[in-house]
Amino acid sequence: MKREASVVSDLSCWATMAVFAIGLIVLAVRLKEVQVDGAADYNYENARQSVRRIQTAGMRGRILDRNGEILAANRHSLSIVCHPEFFQKRTWEATTEAIAQAIGKTGEEIGLSSPIDERLIRRHVNQSLAMPLVVWRDVSEGVLARFLERQYRLDGFSVVETEERVYPQGSLAAHVIGFVGRDFVSSEAGDTRFNFSDRELRGRSGIEIYYDSYLRGCPGERQLLVDARGFAIRERTVTEAGRGPDLRLTLDIGIQRAVERQLVGEKGACVVLDPRDGSVLACASAPTYNLMDFVPVLSQDLYESLAKNPAKPLLNRACGGVYAPGSTFKPLTALAGLSVGFPPDDEYYCSGLFTYGTMKLRCSSRWGHGPVSMRSALAKSCNPYFCNMSVDIGTNAIVRMAREFGLGSRTGIDFGADSAGVVPDAEWKQRVYGERWYPGDLPQMSIGQGMLLASPLQMARVAGALGTGYLVTPHFRAGQAVVRKRLEIPSGDWAIVREGLRMVVNGGTGKRGGEGIRVPVSGKTGTAEVGVGEKKRKNTWFIAYAPSENPTVAVAMVIENGQSGGGTTAPKVAEILKVVF
Amino acid sequence: MVSYLKRFNWLMFAAMLVLIAVGTTAIWSAGNARAETVFHGMWKNNLATAAVGLVIYLTLSIVDYRKILDWLSTPAYAVAIVMLVLVLLVGSTVYGGRRWLWFFQPSEISKLCVICFLANVAERLRGFGGFCLAGLIIGVPAFLILLEPDLGTTLTLVPATLLMLFVARVWRRGLLTIFAVGAVGAMVVLGAVYEAEKPGASAERRERILRILPLKEHQIRRVKVFLFPEEDLMGAGYNLRQAKISIGSGGFSGKGIGKGETNHLKYLPQAISMNDFIFCVYAEETGFVGSLVLLALFGMLVIPGAWVATTSADGRGRLLALGISTLIFAHVYVNIAMSIGLVPITGLPLPFISSGRTFLVTVMAGLGLIQSVSIHGKETR
Repeated sequence: MKREASVVSDLSCWATMAVFAIGLIVLAVRLKEVQVDGAADYNYENARQSVRRIQTAGMRGRILDRNGEILAANRHSLSIVCHPEFFQKRTWEATTEAIAQAIGKTGEEIGLSSPIDERLIRRHVNQSLAMPLVVWRDVSEGVLARFLERQYRLDGFSVVETEERVYPQGSLAAHVIGFVGRDFVSSEAGDTRFNFSDRELRGRSGIEIYYDSYLRGCPGERQLLVDARGFAIRERTVTEAGRGPDLRLTLDIGIQRAVERQLVGEKGACVVLDPRDGSVLACASAPTYNLMDFVPVLSQDLYESLAKNPAKPLLNRACGGVYAPGSTFKPLTALAGLSVGFPPDDEYYCSGLFTYGTMKLRCSSRWGHGPVSMRSALAKSCNPYFCNMSVDIGTNAIVRMAREFGLGSRTGIDFGADSAGVVPDAEWKQRVYGERWYPGDLPQMSIGQGMLLASPLQMARVAGALGTGYLVTPHFRAGQAVVRKRLEIPSGDWAIVREGLRMVVNGGTGKRGGEGIRVPVSGKTGTAEVGVGEKKRKNTWFIAYAPSENPTVAVAMVIENGQSGGGTTAPKVAEILKVVF
Repeated sequence: MVSYLKRFNWLMFAAMLVLIAVGTTAIWSAGNARAETVFHGMWKNNLATAAVGLVIYLTLSIVDYRKILDWLSTPAYAVAIVMLVLVLLVGSTVYGGRRWLWFFQPSEISKLCVICFLANVAERLRGFGGFCLAGLIIGVPAFLILLEPDLGTTLTLVPATLLMLFVARVWRRGLLTIFAVGAVGAMVVLGAVYEAEKPGASAERRERILRILPLKEHQIRRVKVFLFPEEDLMGAGYNLRQAKISIGSGGFSGKGIGKGETNHLKYLPQAISMNDFIFCVYAEETGFVGSLVLLALFGMLVIPGAWVATTSADGRGRLLALGISTLIFAHVYVNIAMSIGLVPITGLPLPFISSGRTFLVTVMAGLGLIQSVSIHGKETR
């Protein structure tokens, strides 16, 4: 077959084929760059724009007393949420409106009004579109039943479960347990992997805040796949949130109840310790409040009434309240005297009045105790005896002994808010008051008055140390290693003071503190006068340890505006000790 | 009949059928991702159109292309020009272009008409006069299409027809000059946009440079995105970025047919995911392997198409086969290249894969003509 002559050469055809082949190869090479070499990058880009990572909250651990009784736990709370993706409209404004309408309609169906206004919905649409919008929090069973009945026609709404804190014991140990609020699940600093965080329970005071990171659940992760407009398409759980461990406290709710029963109607505080290891068996402050009022949220009104109440119910008087210890300080003054060689058996004649320079100090016994030695001065709580001794031994000995017993510094308890109190000396007074140390300050301090301040927790510890010879660091969490310090005091000195303290309960000022108790009790009363003139009040103390030999319990209680330590406080402590033994 | 079947190019036919299947699948996937249910059944539509196209294909392949060129190419060209004028006057506007005349797009059909007409007459165009005539034959429809505006169609028609003139030896000196001017022009446009839009250029300077360029604002934006793909990812660069994410996240083996995430989550621009950006849908779901298969299929279409030209005894057959092959190749190349940032983004469909009835029928008719050249080209009259 002869070819027709053509101007179109074979070469041009082959060249065209070559161009096609080269073009396709160029595309293939470039596609390899994008799809093979770039796959990881583009996959990341794809995930970044279409995946929202959410940190989810884990369940908070419970708080138990030493016997496993529940002090704080969780209950499931059901909330009705709205899913914005069901109400997509062309514009955000229309979407917001559609959501508002749907909420209104659902509200009518279940008989609740909408708790959120359009402004909140708009903010949700702008900021967290992919997430469900929580509309009705913590709904009642009735509402839930109505919702579930009608759910088939309430598209875009569902029920989600969250946890709320419950305090089954109500106000019991309220100041110790503390309460919780809500906050976003925290992640390590600079962790920007998460787009959203759930809100989890977070300690706001007390043990709840001190052991917050321990109790807190382990956060989990959920991922939402979102479309180009940001609406959620589907979700999956990457890691389940874990439950926080339970926290066992040293508290014994039996003793705690007994303590709080004694504080009803009073202003005051009481701490019961095991002086051998420092476990706090009970710790109460009055007046108190009901923890259940704090969950899920404390109402503004209630908060204000608590905050403005002159009796200061929110104050934890047991750890954070400081009082002049009054005569309960006298055992330390006595030990200070002994430490510098003051003869304990020398008798001092108490006339009922101690004069020092221009200062006059009355004794509790109007007409005087007559001749007293150290033991009987403790038993009868004779002020002139200790004032007289203090002048002999000087400030330093007393200050040193007070500090030896942990006064003036925080106890180191596993609790956020305990006060250090004050052990004044010349330097301190100059710094705080800008005044020099007057001679009259010393006898005042020797009987626990003046500028000396201590918390009930500190005094319970002092009581324990007087009984055991060891100063323990108190703690709330069970199973902690015992931290205690041996006090460098000769056994002879201990014997004298302990004998005095035994005599206080055995016929002395605190005799009502040992009534009806199966074991011998040692203790010391205190009646500290505060304020002057019209405002003059008495804070009445009783500190005790029992049994007198090898004590297992130490107590300190203070009642504001009482009559006397022996009359007001000692009987209350006796009631508590009756429950313990 | 036996010689008919023998000369029928079975490779091209097979490649075409597979491409129709692939395209229908891609349209199914892209259509399902759309919120509007009307698109969910588009794949059936595509199959029906392909059936019509197949009838035209087989008819054209049986008829001797010479008869078609003799009898039909001139009236077809005239009708094409009339339609292109009509669409400008009474056509309907979709996505910023006046491209639709009733149920079809004249610009798509006109491409084939222009190629047929040119194939018929190119050998007779000689010297400067012939060159000028050729310029009119191509220029008038190209200009009318540009007015719609449809830059993409112009960009594929012009290379195909220029190649035809070149191989037909129509005053090559002039053609080479045009190539040179075109190349320089492209460089100038790119350079000017680069200077105007480069980071730190003052607004005043930008204004001054861009005023001189004969480009529309949206075209300048596309050139800018091509030059600086990382800028303005949520605005002008959004389409290119999403196209690349779709294709790139497909990885080596793809996410599975119907499982393209960027498409179903609507990150890929929905308005064009079934048309100009359908390669992204396909590449995400089938991965690099799928991309290679698709390129191979297109290779089995256009390279044999050009090879058919070598078997043809007369110049008109050769020109027809080369012109149609080049048109299809230009569509394939520009469409895929734009979605991976090799050329600026411009709207044009990917043969067989994009959903578009006029274009599918046009391409199948063109391939039918190549079959006719394959079957009848060896015969001498």
